[in-house]
Amino acid sequence: MSNHIKVALILTVVMVIIGIGLAGIYLMTYAPIAKADLNADLEAIKFVLTDQTTGQLLVSQSQIPQTMAELNAKIWKSDSSGVLYSNPKLPGYVLSPAYLFKGKDGSNIYVLTGYGIGFGGRVVTVASFIQQKDGSFLENSIDVIDYSNETPGLGAKINDPDVRSRFFDIPNSGLKDGVKVNKDAGLFPLPANYLSKINQYKAEGIVVTSDVMTGATITPRSVANTLNAMYEFLEKEVK
Amino acid sequence: MAENKLSDWAVLTAGWIKQNPTFVQVLGMCPVLAVSTSAENALGMGLATLGVLAISNLFISFVRNIIPNEIRIPVYISIIAAFVTMVNLLMHGYTYSLWVSLGIYIPLIVVNCIPLGRAEAFASKHGPWQSFLDGLGMGIGFLGAIMLIGITRELFDAGTIFGYRIWPEAYNVFVVALPPGAFLVIGLYMGLFRYIGKIRSEKKPQGSENK
Repeated sequence: MSNHIKVALILTVVMVIIGIGLAGIYLMTYAPIAKADLNADLEAIKFVLTDQTTGQLLVSQSQIPQTMAELNAKIWKSDSSGVLYSNPKLPGYVLSPAYLFKGKDGSNIYVLTGYGIGFGGRVVTVASFIQQKDGSFLENSIDVIDYSNETPGLGAKINDPDVRSRFFDIPNSGLKDGVKVNKDAGLFPLPANYLSKINQYKAEGIVVTSDVMTGATITPRSVANTLNAMYEFLEKEVK
Repeated sequence: MAENKLSDWAVLTAGWIKQNPTFVQVLGMCPVLAVSTSAENALGMGLATLGVLAISNLFISFVRNIIPNEIRIPVYISIIAAFVTMVNLLMHGYTYSLWVSLGIYIPLIVVNCIPLGRAEAFASKHGPWQSFLDGLGMGIGFLGAIMLIGITRELFDAGTIFGYRIWPEAYNVFVVALPPGAFLVIGLYMGLFRYIGKIRSEKKPQGSENK
């Protein structure tokens, strides 16, 4: 009996010491982690507010948030549950908050954060949608900010520039049809001249990824599902 | 029985080639296969594992005489998990993009065979200084091995090393980036290590292996 008590006491002391050590490191890294996460969000928002063809900002430089307070001033919709919209059938989710910016041409630009389910869990994407004069939407660009559970070398390639660019400039017709990766659209293997038809495929909602992300369909599919959930959310809330 | 005292240099260098954790002991292969797709990822993973190995070995050696035998494994795992969590928090705060790239494989160092294996095989039986050197040496061996694989895979997959172009993209061998490619590269290096070991043992004068 005394041996059991001794073992329990030793384990308790070890765990308490480990706990104190971890608490110390947590306190030391709390601020840098919050700063790193905020910087990642701000960089992603700046990235999606850029015209990827010209490299020019779609909004004036003064509108680009530099701090948490400036970012909060751009909130369009928020929800205390943390989720603004969900479609479990996809599955795709839009996270709170959603931001609204005014474009240089006066158009509304919605910046949404959402996630789909990848190979290892959530794949979090930030995307911008430009509202056209006729009320329809153009998906401008995306930045995948959390793919930390995806397999390095395979799914984790989702934020490589050549993969990410395949999700840029999807017109309203493609969003309306539902964004899907080319394998899910039955476009596999790819025809010889597929590169010249990339924009035509986008107009049909087909995003070609199998050539730049061989061996990983689940991760780009999760981004496609996220974009679909975002479009459904915008259709419901804006129109 | 008198303790067979090893020199500090022998302890430090054992994991480099002779007992290399990756190519000779074939330990911790899961992160090696998954993370070694680029030199940068391999460097990050190797350094994180090296840090955890050296520091956890040191602490486990400090407490080895006060931990009862029946609870030594949970205590070792807890110590290793604590240091892995610390490394994870530090990487999240200070090397964000690398932390995102390495993803789940940083927390998974907890269940990597190398730290627990060295804790049980070495740190629980030796003093703090030599245990630290053992962790450092094994960590260097792991870092060297994963870097070698990472550099090779990045070179053949993308034609670059640490992002610097070495040859045109047209010469890339894409399969090297995929899991079968990792097995091929590791297999070739293992064969090379065995061949070097064979040559070295053949060159040794007769009877020297018993010394």
